[in-house]
Amino acid sequence: MSLAAPERPEVDLFPTPEEYQGLLSKRTRRARLFQAACLLALTVAVVALVALIYTIINDSFGLVAVVNQTEPEAVVADLGLDPTQVTLDDLEYDQLLGVLQAGISSGVGRRLEREQRFYADRLVFEPQDSWDELCASAEPVPGCTAGPRGHANVLALVLERVVQPDVIATYPLVPSLLNPEGFEADVAAGFEANRFGDYRPDQVGIEWRAWFNWTFLTSPSSATPEIAGIRTAILGSAWLVAITILFAVPVGVGAAIYLVEYARPSRLNDFIQTNIYNLAGVPSIIYGMLGLAILVRVLEPFTSGAVFTPGTPPSDNGRTVLSAGITLGLLTLPVVIISAQEALKAVPSSLRQASMGLGATKWQTVRSQVLPVALPGILTGAILAVARAIGETAPLILVGAASFITVDPSGPFSKFTAVPIQIFQWTSFPQEEFRKIAAAASLALLLLLLILNAGAVILRNRYARKA
Amino acid sequence: MPFDTDQTEKAMTRDPEEYAIRSPAESTSPPPPAEAVMRIEDMDVFYGDFRAVKEVSIPFAKNEITALIGPSGCGKSTVLRSLNRMNDLIPTARVEGKVMFHDENIYQRHVDPVEVRRRVGMVFQKPNPFPKSIYENVAWGARINGFKGKRGELDDLVEHALTQAALWEEVKDKLTESGYSLSGGQQQRLCIARAVAPSPEVLLMDEPCSALDPIATLRIEELMMTLKKEFTIIIVTHNMQQAGRVSDRTAFFSVDVDDRGQRTGKLVEFDDTDRIFTAPGEKETEDYITGRFG
Repeated sequence: MSLAAPERPEVDLFPTPEEYQGLLSKRTRRARLFQAACLLALTVAVVALVALIYTIINDSFGLVAVVNQTEPEAVVADLGLDPTQVTLDDLEYDQLLGVLQAGISSGVGRRLEREQRFYADRLVFEPQDSWDELCASAEPVPGCTAGPRGHANVLALVLERVVQPDVIATYPLVPSLLNPEGFEADVAAGFEANRFGDYRPDQVGIEWRAWFNWTFLTSPSSATPEIAGIRTAILGSAWLVAITILFAVPVGVGAAIYLVEYARPSRLNDFIQTNIYNLAGVPSIIYGMLGLAILVRVLEPFTSGAVFTPGTPPSDNGRTVLSAGITLGLLTLPVVIISAQEALKAVPSSLRQASMGLGATKWQTVRSQVLPVALPGILTGAILAVARAIGETAPLILVGAASFITVDPSGPFSKFTAVPIQIFQWTSFPQEEFRKIAAAASLALLLLLLILNAGAVILRNRYARKA
Repeated sequence: MPFDTDQTEKAMTRDPEEYAIRSPAESTSPPPPAEAVMRIEDMDVFYGDFRAVKEVSIPFAKNEITALIGPSGCGKSTVLRSLNRMNDLIPTARVEGKVMFHDENIYQRHVDPVEVRRRVGMVFQKPNPFPKSIYENVAWGARINGFKGKRGELDDLVEHALTQAALWEEVKDKLTESGYSLSGGQQQRLCIARAVAPSPEVLLMDEPCSALDPIATLRIEELMMTLKKEFTIIIVTHNMQQAGRVSDRTAFFSVDVDDRGQRTGKLVEFDDTDRIFTAPGEKETEDYITGRFG
C-alpha cells in the first residue's frame, strides 16, 4: 500500500533567504521578550516572599521603652547587694522567693502555691491544715501532686509580679538598627503629648527586646502581652496536625489506591473523580460549617469523649481538638487523594504487568511493587496538604477553637487553640505590643511549616534512595 | 480451582488430527503436532465492540518454540496476552472461544487468572525489572506464590533461575544491587530469570529482543534454545530472521480491513517454521516473508 505524496506547489512558499533573516531576528526578539516576562514573574514572586518575611521579622524584634513597677536594681539593692555586680538572675532561690513574698498579696501567693508549690518539704503561703484539707478533698489542687517550682519559674514570677515591666512604646527592627535615636525622640515626644499617663520620663528604660524568644515559645497565653506566650497554641496545632494526618493520610491513600488500581471506568467513577477535584476547591469555611454541624453537634457524644468515659465526660461539648482535627482532615482529604492518585499513576504500568504476569494478586502487586515506588510522591503530597491545614483559621473558628486558653491540650477531647487563631486574636487587640507578639507567633508558625516541609523532603529522599 | 495436571498424559495421546489447523483455502497440510500444552480453539478477542482478532486456532506443542509473526496491528500480541489472561487487565477486553491449558479452558468461570499467570509466565517487550535488588527480582515471584523453602533453598532457586537465564556468572557478586544497574540485555535476561523462577510450564515472550542490540539479541536467542528443553515457549516477533532462527513452528497473522475501516487480525497460516519460510501455503504469507508486504 503506498500513499501518493502531495504535489509540491510550483511557487516556492518558503521565504527567501533575506526574508528569513528578517523573520529570524523577529522570532529571536519575541523569544527574549517571553524569557524576560517569565523572569519578571519570578521576580514578583520572590519580592512578595521577601516582603512577607521582612514584615514579620521587622515586627518580631526591636527597641522597646519599658517602665518597671519596681526596678530590678532596687530589688537587688533592697537585699543589701551591689546592683552593679549582681542582677536578678544571680539571686538564690530563697532570695527570689523572699522578693516574691514581699511583693505579692498572700491571696495571690496561695493561688500560686496551689498551682505548684515552692518547696517540696514546706509551705510558704498556705497553712498546713488547710493544705491537707485541700489535698484530701475529692478534687485536690495540682500543687498536691506536682513537684516544686524551679529557679527559672520563680524568677519569671518575680519579673511578672514584682518587677511588672510595662512596655509603653515599641520600635520595629530596621529603624531600631538604623536610627535608635529616633525612638528616644519618639518616646520624649510621647511624654510631651501626655500619651503615657502617670509615668515619668525618668522611669523609662530603653532596651532591646526579641519578642520571638524561648520564653515566648514556652509560656502559656496571658492578658499581658509582655509575658504572653504561645505554648498552648503550638501544642494545640501539634495535636491538630497529628489528628489531621491520622485521618487524612490513611483514608486519602486508601481512596486513591481504589480509584487508580481497582476502579473500572464508569459514569459513577467519573462523577466521583470530578467531585474530588471540586471538593479540593471548596472554601475552608464551608468545611468549618460541616465540622460544626456534624462533628460538633451531631456527633457530640463521640467528639466530646462522652461515649468513651461514661459518667464523667472529658469535655462538656464537642468543641474539641478531635472535632477540629477531623474537620481539617476532611479539608485536606481531596488534596491528599489527588496527589496520591498522581503518584500512583506515575508508576509505570509495565511494573504492574510484570508483577501480575508472575502470578501476583492485585493486592500483592499494589503492596509490594506499586506502593513502594509511589510512596515518596504520596508522602510529599500528604505533608504539603497537611502543612496547608496548619495555617487554616476559618474552620477552626467555626468548630470552636478557644480564643483565650492557658491550659495545654491534654488529649483528643480537650479544648484547644491553635497558632493561627492566636495570631488572629492578638492582631485584633488595640495595644501595639500584641501586634508584636502576633508577628512573633507568625514567625513561629512559619518555622513550624518549615520543619514539616523539611520532614517531607527528608522522607522523600530516604524512600527514593531505597527504590 | 487448580488445574488437573494429570491430564497432561491424556493430552499426549490425543489424535494428531485434532490439532490440524485448516487455513481457509485448505492449501496446507497440518503440521504433525507433538504433545500440545496449550491450544487456542476458535478464539475471538474483543476490545469493547471492536473485534481485534477473529477465529484463531493454534496448538502449542510441548518443548517447542512457536513464533507468532505478522505485520503491525495484526493482533499477535493480543493473542499472546490472551494465553495467560493478561488481557483481563484491560477493562474492556473480552475473549470468546477457548484457550485450553492441558484439558481445561482457562477462560472458564471458576479459573483464577492468578493461577494461570503463575503457570504461564511472561517476558515483556521492554525489560521491566522491579526497582529492587537483583536477588529480590528473582525471589519475589517464588515468595508470593508460596515458596516453602528456607532461606538457603531460596538462594539455590535464585541461583538456578539466574543460571537458566545465563546471567548468574555476571551478577553472582552483586545480587544486592538494583536490577536497574544492569545493561538492557542483562535486564531482559533478569526478567527471563524472574519469569522462570516460579517454574511455569509455558513461557510467553512478547518481542523480547526489540529493545536490544544485535549481540544481546543473539544471547537471548541462544538462551531460548536451551530454555525450550524445560519450557514451552511462545514468542511474538517482528524479526522474521529471528522467527526463522529459533522457532519450530510459526503462525502467520495478517489483517482484514472491513468496509468501515475496522482492522481485524486473523490467522493466515500455521505450520512448521521451515515450511512457512520455504514453501508457504498462502500467497499472503509468501508476500510477507519475501518482504513484498507490510
